[in-house]
Amino acid sequence: MALLKGTLDVLVLKTLSWTPMHAFEISTWIEDQSTGRVAIDDAALLQALHRLEARKLIDAEWGVTKNGRRARYYRLTSPGRAHLRAESERLVDHFDALVSVLSAKKA
Amino acid sequence: MRFGLREGLARLLRIPRPSPQSIRAEADAELESVITNRIEYLVAHGRSPDAARAEALNRLGASLDEARSQLHQSAQQREQRMRFSERVHSIVQDLRYAARGLAARPTFTIVAVLTLAIGIGATTAIFSAVNVLLLRPLPYAHPDELMKVTLVTPGRGAIPSNEQMVWSYPKSQVFRNAQHVFSDIALYASGQFTLRAGDAERVTGEEIGATYFSVLGLSAARGRLFDRSLDAHPNADRQAILSYGFWERRFNADPSIVGRTIDIDHQPYTVVGIGPRDFTGLSGQADLFLPLMVRPAEEFTQPQSHEFWMVARRAPGVSAQQALAAVRVLGKQVNDAVPDSYSKTPWGATTEPLDNARLAPSVRRSLLVLFGAVGFVLLIACANVANLLIGRANTRAREIAVRLAIGASRGRLVRLLLIESLLLAFVGAAASLLVAWGGVRALGTIDPATTLRVSRDSGLGAVAFSAISLDWTALAFTLGVTLIVGLVFGLVPAIGATRASLTDALKAGRTKSTRVRRGSLRRALVVVEVALAIVLLAGSGLMLRSLTKLLAVDTGFDGTNVLTMSMSIPVEGNARDSMPGFYEQLLDRVRAVPGVVDASMSNCAPMSGRCSSTVIWFDGHVPENPTRAPSIGLNWVSPTWFATMKVPLRRGRTFTGADRLGTPVVAVVNDVAAKKFWPGASPIGKHIGAGMSGMKDAEVIGVVGGVRLRADSAPKPDVYISYLQFPRGGTTLFVRAARDPSAIAADVRRAIHEIAPQYPIFNVKTMAERTAAATASSRFSAALLGLFALTALSLASIGIYGVMALAVSARTREIGVRIALGADRQRVQRLVVGEGAALVAAGAVLGIAGALLTTRVLASLLFDLAPTDPPTYVAIVLVLGGCALAASWIPARRASRVDPVTALRAD
Repeated sequence: MALLKGTLDVLVLKTLSWTPMHAFEISTWIEDQSTGRVAIDDAALLQALHRLEARKLIDAEWGVTKNGRRARYYRLTSPGRAHLRAESERLVDHFDALVSVLSAKKA
Repeated sequence: MRFGLREGLARLLRIPRPSPQSIRAEADAELESVITNRIEYLVAHGRSPDAARAEALNRLGASLDEARSQLHQSAQQREQRMRFSERVHSIVQDLRYAARGLAARPTFTIVAVLTLAIGIGATTAIFSAVNVLLLRPLPYAHPDELMKVTLVTPGRGAIPSNEQMVWSYPKSQVFRNAQHVFSDIALYASGQFTLRAGDAERVTGEEIGATYFSVLGLSAARGRLFDRSLDAHPNADRQAILSYGFWERRFNADPSIVGRTIDIDHQPYTVVGIGPRDFTGLSGQADLFLPLMVRPAEEFTQPQSHEFWMVARRAPGVSAQQALAAVRVLGKQVNDAVPDSYSKTPWGATTEPLDNARLAPSVRRSLLVLFGAVGFVLLIACANVANLLIGRANTRAREIAVRLAIGASRGRLVRLLLIESLLLAFVGAAASLLVAWGGVRALGTIDPATTLRVSRDSGLGAVAFSAISLDWTALAFTLGVTLIVGLVFGLVPAIGATRASLTDALKAGRTKSTRVRRGSLRRALVVVEVALAIVLLAGSGLMLRSLTKLLAVDTGFDGTNVLTMSMSIPVEGNARDSMPGFYEQLLDRVRAVPGVVDASMSNCAPMSGRCSSTVIWFDGHVPENPTRAPSIGLNWVSPTWFATMKVPLRRGRTFTGADRLGTPVVAVVNDVAAKKFWPGASPIGKHIGAGMSGMKDAEVIGVVGGVRLRADSAPKPDVYISYLQFPRGGTTLFVRAARDPSAIAADVRRAIHEIAPQYPIFNVKTMAERTAAATASSRFSAALLGLFALTALSLASIGIYGVMALAVSARTREIGVRIALGADRQRVQRLVVGEGAALVAAGAVLGIAGALLTTRVLASLLFDLAPTDPPTYVAIVLVLGGCALAASWIPARRASRVDPVTALRAD
């Protein structure tokens, strides 16, 4: 399922709010949380990560995975946390509104 | 490893910025890592390696190459963006740091900001005035083509030649008909009129030729201007044009006034138009404009009745020099056609660009002097800011060295210092706006007629002082100058400091070479400041002394509690014989007003300018050639005028009510005239006659003290005659009150209105106001120059203090050693103060030399004082010396209190 514009960034920030992760972990985490309903293209995810890093919403550092592979780990910054709070509220509100419209029943 | 490192720290550790190649490589590695991780995950979940690989590539959402180039791009964008925000961040940081640094040294900051504010603000304000009043083109069409044309009277004995003589109508017509260098010319004369619309009101206006507005290239704001045909013959149509300001003020900008008829001097005039906005005639005072040709024919036939100014526009292709040459020749032709009856020397004519005549020479000179003075203040301000910045850089040499040691780049440090200077300059500029705004407003309220004594017959009031507005170009210019000076003087030591070797600087900043050099630069700046301050002090000291002399002069009368008001009483309407009775009735009525002690009249108010002068003759011998006869000032007074004004009677008696029409004609002279015409003898009983009065032969009955008609010139020979023997129209009433004279003004007005409602009263002023107005110009210049000099003095004192304080703190160790070795504290104080005194002495010598050269320009503005007046110079040297001593005494005291143990243990 394609994501609404701007939604991916919030999902990534939300994911990183748990713990620092590398790109593949983020992707898996979102997929698990949505029980497979949200699948993100890796290229799009990596671009989103660059974008967020440029905006200083996340920080990056090279590290080693459990399997001994090199990977770039991302961490939420404090501006990122603030951004996440504001944006997720906005999004939830938006979806809530959409849901009320779509679930309206004939009187 | 960038993760978790603060940017500042990363920079400190000199982590190189990633190159484009490494950015791409990093992006590739990350992509690779994602793919590998997914493959491993899928394999771990039971896929075959090939299937896992295919799935992983599929999950990219693009082909591998596409994904790669997309990521290269996004990584590069990320890098650029981060680098940019890093730069902004560091500038913001520098700004914040600079602001904190300035806030941490409030004395330095306040002094620097005030210095900048005063220097920039004052210069801008004065320059704004100079620009509007002297530099900006006159607000007329092609102002460079406009010329002022005047007659030239030859010099006669002690009387110098006059190049500013006005025209008589017949002479102007000869000129007009013979000339070819001007495309058009117009005559005008300024005059007083009585406007009756409800209450009678005295207004100033100009009688103008019909071509006046078209010569200037002006058009009416409403209605129309005079038609050219109005110039054709005397007794022209009575039309009037109101000045824009007068129309707004008097008629509330009522557009229906155009076409209406108004009563001017008992004649009906039709208002045909409203003049252009901000135009008050070339005299600068006109409320209304009337055609000069409305006068009867006989007034245009008098070749010796000189009363008109001439303004002309040069014809295309004629230069100012060509016009001047032609006008000189025309002057001879005019003289041949209409020779002067009295003198054999011919009259001439001359012309100059109207622009040269836009301001009275005395106003121009005052303005330029002020401009020069304010320029000095700006120079001192620059020197002071430079001094402060050098001092600041010196005290920070150690801090800078530490920063360099821990890895800050020189460029970054220089930028930091630069940002600090800039921040300082901007705060200073903001503060200077207030100063400039206030200054411009103050200058705008100056009434040149009173404050600067623009006499109506020299120069023009073509540009009103109210037109002065804040000049942004000037502000930008002065800000730029100060900024450049500040930056240069702030940067040079900054670069020096950042170059200084680490070890030297860390040794308590005792780097000999740079310190000595910078120290001598600061000393030189102080010497210059002191010199400039001396010049300004000399200028203002001279003006102040001139002013005190002016205020201390004996005016010859006592004006305390005297109220004056002018009245115009047209003689035509009254039988000559009835006038004395009317005067007495009027004065009696005024005397009856409660609070009035005495009332009298004179045609001429003391301290208000010149009164008419005429020829005097003795024993009935009317001179044949009046130009060779001695002249005397002529004054009409009512009998009690001398008593009202407390003018002392020296000899004989003054007029009584019995000296009136029909009794023997008598006159009173002042002691100046007595000394001049009857040296060593008594004038009482002598017989004199005078022109302009019809007094052929009168007996002198008394001698009174001389009365000053102007603040700046001693009484001249004067003769007084009585209104009761020589009835006259216009007069000024002098009312002595028991206390505050302005309190009874309304009552006196009402009383006069009861008796003579038809005669307008104007110029109601207390005698104190008149005296104040007479000295206003001197007070104005003295106040402004004094203000500048005070500023200069405080700036120079601050400069001296700064240098001496720094010298002391740099030598704390040396002083400590001296004290430890037994030098007593007074000796140390003397050492420091002596060093300051040497700087001041050097500056003073330079300054006095400069002052002697420059104050010569003040000569014509000084009253009874030479520009080299020794007492003034002694006084200013004492004042400056005192301030300088005080400024170096504070650091000296600190030096003498140095504790040798602490000083030696400092490192």
